[in-house]
Order: sequence, then structure tokens, then C-alpha cells
Amino acid sequence: MKRTILLLTALLCFNGAAFAAIDLESKGMQMLGEVLANPAAFFYDFQQDLEGTTPLPPGKTFGIQTGLFPTTIPLTYLNVSGKLRLHGEGRIAPGVPQLDLIGGYWDMLAAKMATKDSDTIDSAKFGGYYMGAIISASVSPRVRTFWGYKRSVMAAKLAFKAGQEPELLGTTVSSFNTGFKDDFVIAGIETPKGIGKLWSMQLNYGLKTQTFSSKVSWYGKVFELGLNIYPEGVLVIHPVWNMHLNF
Amino acid sequence: MKKIILSAVVAASLAGRLYATVAEDSKIFTPFFDMSLNEAAYVPSVGNIFSGGNINTQVGLLTKITQKDQLFGLYNFNYAGPGFTPQDSKQFTDRSLSHSFTFEYRRNITEKLRVRPGVAFTTDYSRSGANEAWKNGLYNMTSSGLQLAADYTFDFERNGIVSLTYLAKSVKFPNYTDLLKEFQDPRNTANVNGGLQDQGIKQVSLRPAWGKWFGGVTYTQQDYKNQKVIGLDGVYSLTDNQKDKTTMLDAGFHHTLWIFELSPMVSYTMHRSNQNFLRYKYFGAVLNPADLSGTSDVTLVAKNYDYNEFTLSVPLYLNITGKWAIGGAVNMTSRKYTDRKKRDENNNYVAGLQKNLMTTMTGSIRKRINETALVQLYYALTVVGSNNKFEKYMPANYTGNTLGLSYQLSY
Repeated sequence: MKRTILLLTALLCFNGAAFAAIDLESKGMQMLGEVLANPAAFFYDFQQDLEGTTPLPPGKTFGIQTGLFPTTIPLTYLNVSGKLRLHGEGRIAPGVPQLDLIGGYWDMLAAKMATKDSDTIDSAKFGGYYMGAIISASVSPRVRTFWGYKRSVMAAKLAFKAGQEPELLGTTVSSFNTGFKDDFVIAGIETPKGIGKLWSMQLNYGLKTQTFSSKVSWYGKVFELGLNIYPEGVLVIHPVWNMHLNF
Repeated sequence: MKKIILSAVVAASLAGRLYATVAEDSKIFTPFFDMSLNEAAYVPSVGNIFSGGNINTQVGLLTKITQKDQLFGLYNFNYAGPGFTPQDSKQFTDRSLSHSFTFEYRRNITEKLRVRPGVAFTTDYSRSGANEAWKNGLYNMTSSGLQLAADYTFDFERNGIVSLTYLAKSVKFPNYTDLLKEFQDPRNTANVNGGLQDQGIKQVSLRPAWGKWFGGVTYTQQDYKNQKVIGLDGVYSLTDNQKDKTTMLDAGFHHTLWIFELSPMVSYTMHRSNQNFLRYKYFGAVLNPADLSGTSDVTLVAKNYDYNEFTLSVPLYLNITGKWAIGGAVNMTSRKYTDRKKRDENNNYVAGLQKNLMTTMTGSIRKRINETALVQLYYALTVVGSNNKFEKYMPANYTGNTLGLSYQLSY
């Protein structure tokens, strides 16, 4: 039973989409096939959900963030991210933009539990990190644009014990060992939605793999709500809920 | 091919919008930022539900060097995802991803006359429903080109400008090969069949804009570097290369009256090609040079690609409050082939010319978040019909429902 922890987690995620389908079975099979064809890409989309790729609010020096949904819940991606301001906008000279360092790490708790307790899973490792920098500049009192770079790395490994391999789409799956790493450029724009509340939209583009996403976010002092769009992903729309504190 | 024509025409229309980007008097640098996102669920009457959308990001910077000299640089990222498309264009699941760079030098010769020489580079990746890696797309394309444009202001008060633009581009398809030829004769390799889509594009456009009105005429010529024309005897010519010519006329206006916001646009396109078409009725059909008529298994259709196309777009918004608006739109694309006969379900040519019609009716709710951002929820009903009933590879008659969400942030 425990060997299915990871697979169930993945299946639960496209449960919602499947309800809307006309031919539920064929759509589900198609999506499952896409996950199996490239598991790293599927799990990396969730890493992007927890990555903090917006600049620190003006006046803040550092910040911490953790992804709540869909990362910690239900995928058990335990994660922490941080931001550190190296230069405030206009500090050295007028017009010199703000510069922030960003980074974060995550590890999937379910993978550790499954490896430890399962009779069928031989080994499992799902985890990753990212690091980068973001510059941001105000183009008007109410609009700030930001530009960035991030290096994202992820490992996705899963192996079943001999004789316990599951069968999916008519094929016995014994193991997969895939990873993902790429250098991304980030371009975004931020505008206030209300007092202490911001609205932003950004594009993340991976230079080697052509992986790309568009993130739309609303955030205040503590929480961030977002819609992350992965047009080429298995789950195209990820509703996102993150928590952050900036000092 | 339609894609190239479309991108060339879009480039001409886009140029119209971008040349209007002006430097603020007090600034040396004026940024241009436009980011839009559209994601939708598609439910066609043929095939299964799918999702698709578009992402477009434009980032530009206008630099004022002197009062008369400016530099404008623009980067454009565009992703065109799966979606409903007019017949004879692409599959629902085809998508493309492109990066474009444009650099333009602007010089005011007189108060009324400005010239804009420039260069443009584009890399375009294509992907089919088979989900091949982006770098392996059969229709991946790179292009580089030069532009020379002149703007003449004839009415300062009502912003009356007429622009004459000349573009010359070299387009290459590094992965393209004629798969059918290779299949028919294994001795044919990519070395022989590669480069068949490579072409040079020349485009001239004249576009006036006055107050709320805009319009223009655009002429595009595509000169294929290697693709030969199929002769009327069904054999590839040894000397004549394919040459396509497209002329497009378009006009529209944007008007706001009380709570009504209307921006209709019409266009008429005439596409002509010297290329002909050999229709193989079924797999394994054998060409008989003595009989290439419509009743034979292999039929030659002269001027198969020539068509006239009319498009109409009428978006209307009712601004109920300062933030909220209700929208409705009708979009129509009507294509009539000049020489291509229609086909029945069994791939037989029958009397009458092929006609395609695609109509989309959209209803939407739009919220303006602030002066730079807006969000829109929309539903669209698409009705696609054609008198071509041979739909083994591409649907020509279907209805589709679309439910989507779009965001836009622009500065």
C-alpha cells in the first residue's frame, strides 16, 4: 500500500481536472503517460510554485518564505526560501535599481517516509534547490519592473523492490532516475492593488530546456496567493498559497 | 505557410502600435512593458477536451540620445498554445514559442518626417501533439532581416500619421525535410530534401492612422530558395522555384462613446502562389502522367493554394463602472479558394470551389484592477464549417466551446 503514496499524490492532483473531462479515462491516461514520460518536469512545476521570484518590497532588507499549497500540502514538499537585499533602489545613486539575492531548498517528506517504511519502495529521493538574483526598478510611482536570473536544480529518483513493481499503462515501472537543472531568466511587473497589497505578473524561461511558466500573484504582508500557469505542463494551472515574512 | 504570412502581417500591425511609443520629454529612458496571459479549456465537438493558451511578453526601451535621435530596442516572447484555429492551418495541439529582437534607430529629419531603419531577429520553435523536444520541431525557424520605415505626420492635432515600411527577411527552417519524399524514395535524404522551406521575404506596407482610425495595405512576397514548383505534368520543375504573393488590406477604429467601447476591424487578403498540388487519393496511389484529372487517383490541382480571405472582428465593451465591464465580440474568418475544388468524405473532388468559414462569438466580464492591469473571464462559442468534407487529417466542420481567463499588465 505504501508504495502507492507517491503515485496517489500525483493522481490526486489531476483529480480536479479529470472531472471536467469528456472522456475521463483517456484524458487521465494521457496525463499519466505524460508524467511517466518526463517525471522530473512534472515535479519541477511544483518546485516553481514554492520559488520566491518576486523582489523584496521597498524598504525591506530580508525575507523568508514557505510554500503551503500545493507544495507542503498535499505533496509534502517541506521547503524554505529566503531573500536578501544587497542594494536598495537609488541608494548608491539615483536610478540604480534594487538588487536582491534569492534562494531556497525543498525535500519531499513522503519520499523519506516511503523509503523508510515501505516493503515495496527500495529508494526514493525528491528534492531540489534554486538560487539567483533579482533587480527591480520603479518606472512610475505605481509600477515596478523586475528582472532576474535563477539556477534551479531538482532530483527525482524512485526505485521499487524486485517483484513489487507496479504496472501502469500496461508497462511495468521498476524505477526512474531523472533530474532537472536549468538556468532561467525572469521578467516581471508589479503594481499595487491596495494599501500594502501588490499584484504581479512574471515570466520564467529556462534557457536550455525551454521550460516556461507565467506566474500571477497577489500578496500582502504575510500571504501570497497565485495562479501559476505551465502551458506545457501536465497540470496547466496551479493555484498557489505561500506564506512570507519580510523584515 | 499561413503562419509565416500571419507573422509577417502581425509584424506590420505591431509595428504600427510600437512606432507610436514616444519618449517622455523629461526622460532619457522610457520603458515599454506589456505582458499578457490567456489560459483556456477547449471542448470541441470532434476530439477530447484540451487546455491551451497564449503568453505574450514585450519588453522595450526607448532611449532619447538627442532631441532628434532615438534608439528603440524590443524583445518579444510569444507562446501560442493549443486552440481552435481556422481550417487548413494547423492541428488543435500544435503550438509554437518564439523570441524576437528588434532594434530601431529613429531620426527626425523634419518636424513632420521621421525615418526608422532597423534590424530584426527571430527564433521560432514549433511543437506538435507528439510532444517532441522544442529543439526538434520540424517547422523550427530562424529569421533575420532589415527594415526601413518612414513616418509622415500630416495632422498634429489629430495624430494623423502615414507610415511606409519596407522589410526584407531571410527565413530558414533548419529541421525541415520532405518526409513524404523520403518515404517514397529512401534514397532521398535530408541532404536533398532539407531547406525546402527556406525563403526570402520582402514586404512593403503603407499604413495611415488618423485620430481613432487606422488602416493599411501590406504586400508580402515569399521567394523559396529551394522548393521547386510542381508542373502541370505532375513533375517538379527543374528551374522554377515557388513564389507566393500576399496582399492584405485592413482598416479599423477604436471609439469610446459614453459607456460603450467599440473597436471593429476588417481585413481582406489575397494570396497567390505559383505552386500546384498533387492529391494522392489514398496511400499507395500511383501517379499516371497521362491522367491527372479530378477522377484519377493522383490529381493535379493547379493554383491549389490561391485564396481570398475576409476577416471581421467586432469587440464591444460596456463599461458598467470604472472597474467592471461586460464584453461581447464577434470574429469571423471566411476563406474562398479561387481554384481548389471541394472534396467529399472519400477524398473525391466534386463540383464547386472550397469555402471555409469560422465564426467565434465571445462573452466576457472584465475587471480593471488599476491603470496598468486588467483581468478577464470569457466564454466563446466557435462554429467552423466548410464544404470540404474530407476530414481524415484535419477537422473542417466542428463546433467548440472555450472557457478562459486572461490577464494583462502593460506600461
